[in-house]
Amino acid sequence: MNEQHDSSIRALLRENFDGPVADDGFCDRVMRQLPARRRARRWQLPAGILTGLVACLWHLSSTPLIRAGWQDWMQGSISHASAIMLLAVMATSLLASWWALAEVD
Amino acid sequence: MGDQDAEARIDQALVARALLGDDKYAFAQLLRRHQGMVRAQLRRLLPDDEATVDDLAQEVFLQAWRKLDQFRGAARFSTWLYRIAYTCFLQANRRKAGTLEDTGGEHEVLPAAARTVDLQLDLERAMRRLSHAERGVLLHCVQLGLSHDEAAYVLSMPLGTVKSHATRGKAKLQNWLSAWQEIETNR
Repeated sequence: MNEQHDSSIRALLRENFDGPVADDGFCDRVMRQLPARRRARRWQLPAGILTGLVACLWHLSSTPLIRAGWQDWMQGSISHASAIMLLAVMATSLLASWWALAEVD
Repeated sequence: MGDQDAEARIDQALVARALLGDDKYAFAQLLRRHQGMVRAQLRRLLPDDEATVDDLAQEVFLQAWRKLDQFRGAARFSTWLYRIAYTCFLQANRRKAGTLEDTGGEHEVLPAAARTVDLQLDLERAMRRLSHAERGVLLHCVQLGLSHDEAAYVLSMPLGTVKSHATRGKAKLQNWLSAWQEIETNR
């Protein structure tokens, strides 16, 4: 296809295009339907971590592991017990955070 | 180009305002600035179905409002809207599958009548006989004035495919409407 035919087809297509459609109340209809935007999820993460922490401590309170881990932690040494305690706290907190975020969605 | 840049800056400022303070007034301005062309795009994609066009256009702007924080400004706001609109169109089309079939008849020449209105009608008919992809590319590149890159973004097609659809589509139209060109030449 040569240049002249190309430009004549382009011109024809442009002529055939009606251009923007008039509003006719469209914008008002859309604005009436606009939902409120979700607020930023600032509180969910700390809330989830706190819930996880409390849940974890509550579960571990009946075992000697928490006491041993806490004593080692306070003495500044990372024993198996304190490492397991920290991992358990972290895992439960992450699970609780994930649950909180999923609930919001 | 300068006008386009200025328009793009206004759109970006309005998007920032709409996001920052949950400002519905800023979004209303974006809506007023772009509804006409988005609805024109959908009307070309769905001729003879104005009710569906307006439903889809409404869905486009509701989605734009929900996804506004995903607009990064890499493309123009209008191009971003065209992409949402084209995706909505494809989804609606999938729901009522089979309404947009690619048509053949590449060598048939449409009969020429001697009036401009008839030329318009023949062009409409010829456009409908183009494949879905060719029609989409010509609509976005020629009628909506997007660059090939922008059309590739809207249609989710590789750039080379957009260019080849544009060339093939125009060649087909030229072939089908050749009788009109003969009349023009003989005048």
